[in-house]
Amino acid sequence: MAELTVFSFYPGTSLVHQLDARFKFFFLIVLSLICLHTSFQGLAALSTLITAVVWSIRLPLTYIIKELRYFLLLIVLVFVARTVFSDGMPDVNLGIFSISLNGLRNGLLICWRLAFIVICGLAFISTTRSSEIKAAVQWYLTPVPFIPEKKVATMMSLIMRFVPIIFDQAKETMEAQRARGIENRKNPVYRLVKLGIPLIRRTFEHADELVLAMEARCYSESRTDPPLISHKRDWLSLLVIMVLCIALLLFRFI
Amino acid sequence: MNIIEIENLSHRFADGTIGIEDIDLKIREGSFVVFAGPNGSGKTTLLRHLNGLLLPTAGSVKIAGWPLEKNLLRARQLVGMMFQDADSQIVGETVCEDIAFGPENLRMERSEIAKRVHNALGAVGLNNLAEQRPHLLSGGEKRRLAIAGILAMEPKVIVFDEPFSSLDYPGVKQILSSILTLHQSGHTILVTTHDLEKIIAHADRLIFMNNGKIVRDGSPEKIMAEAETYGVRQPYASRLGHKVMSWLS
Repeated sequence: MAELTVFSFYPGTSLVHQLDARFKFFFLIVLSLICLHTSFQGLAALSTLITAVVWSIRLPLTYIIKELRYFLLLIVLVFVARTVFSDGMPDVNLGIFSISLNGLRNGLLICWRLAFIVICGLAFISTTRSSEIKAAVQWYLTPVPFIPEKKVATMMSLIMRFVPIIFDQAKETMEAQRARGIENRKNPVYRLVKLGIPLIRRTFEHADELVLAMEARCYSESRTDPPLISHKRDWLSLLVIMVLCIALLLFRFI
Repeated sequence: MNIIEIENLSHRFADGTIGIEDIDLKIREGSFVVFAGPNGSGKTTLLRHLNGLLLPTAGSVKIAGWPLEKNLLRARQLVGMMFQDADSQIVGETVCEDIAFGPENLRMERSEIAKRVHNALGAVGLNNLAEQRPHLLSGGEKRRLAIAGILAMEPKVIVFDEPFSSLDYPGVKQILSSILTLHQSGHTILVTTHDLEKIIAHADRLIFMNNGKIVRDGSPEKIMAEAETYGVRQPYASRLGHKVMSWLS
């Protein structure tokens, strides 16, 4: 029985699950953009909102932290880099490095924004079926000239379909290599090559098998997509998000 | 009536390897046919011609009287295929969504899709797992889901490519039971295997393949004893001269 990665649909009946995919997609983009233009107070408000969302969709928090551990490592690296290399009067000297209060502030702000965007993406993917995401992307791209919206939407949904498979495959390959003592090889490049090549090969093989299976079930770009119907709750959510965003922007300029 | 008619079918792969050669085969509607042979004997290659996943290099395939190339979509609707690796066949985020995949591709109305999904869930006994994520299902449940996905397209012929590989005993029994139910409901069943033991008690025709050719074709009772000549293990009961028992009995 395979484990799932956290970046996959998580069935549920929460309000966020029930929202129209087009609205959720719009919220994801707007909130991600707004968080880039807010400071600590604004981020705190946005983080409260997303925490409530994650709580309401009943995602297991310990599992999220476990699955995002590599991303957390990246955040720590970004934090250290921003802290050490930011401009400003040094407050603490550590040999060739110096740390300023301004640098600490910048590092914290950037990491918080990154974490917020990732959690928003996680909430979106966990509550929206890939077929709904495909239908929403298609809906947004339809008025855009020269863009084959059905192809783009299909490609997006297939990428999302493949993320858990690639993670699964990576985990399996790593376990098989650990069983044969790869941990004794300390060179990270060697280990990366030995993981990457079979992983890429298996991913392409999986892609071939998936194409055959989809063809066998008459797949085409023109198909019955999930119905996209907006309800009162979608418009109310839109109102709340827009009011919050405008308030955050105004607060920033006051 | 013959639901499948194959004449002089050959398939050569891009690298020049011969997959199958000079196959002539007619399959009666409602029959239960087992294709047996060692790995690389051409079983999967032959069956992939039945719904146009592979197209003939030479020869012709007719499904329900229609040449395959004339209407691939119709052929794929009439001939459902269950792949060896059920994981690669699952495309939906939930059990329900995966079953709906085929009818959605056929551009059916939502109400018709819902009806077919409901019926298919019932037919394979997955009603209580309708909102489950497919990746969390057991091996047997995944194969039942694959069968449900095929059933939702209402095919006449169902092809099972090594349906019992990597399944435990309860899983084999579940799948075997589903296959028999489908046969009893009028579907034509084609099964590839290199392990006759689990299925042959229910088949009415056995075809041995080797090196891309049909080397023997007949009723299981008459030709089963020749299995090992063609690289397939003869069922133990048959070796002892007994009738092969069903795994469900």
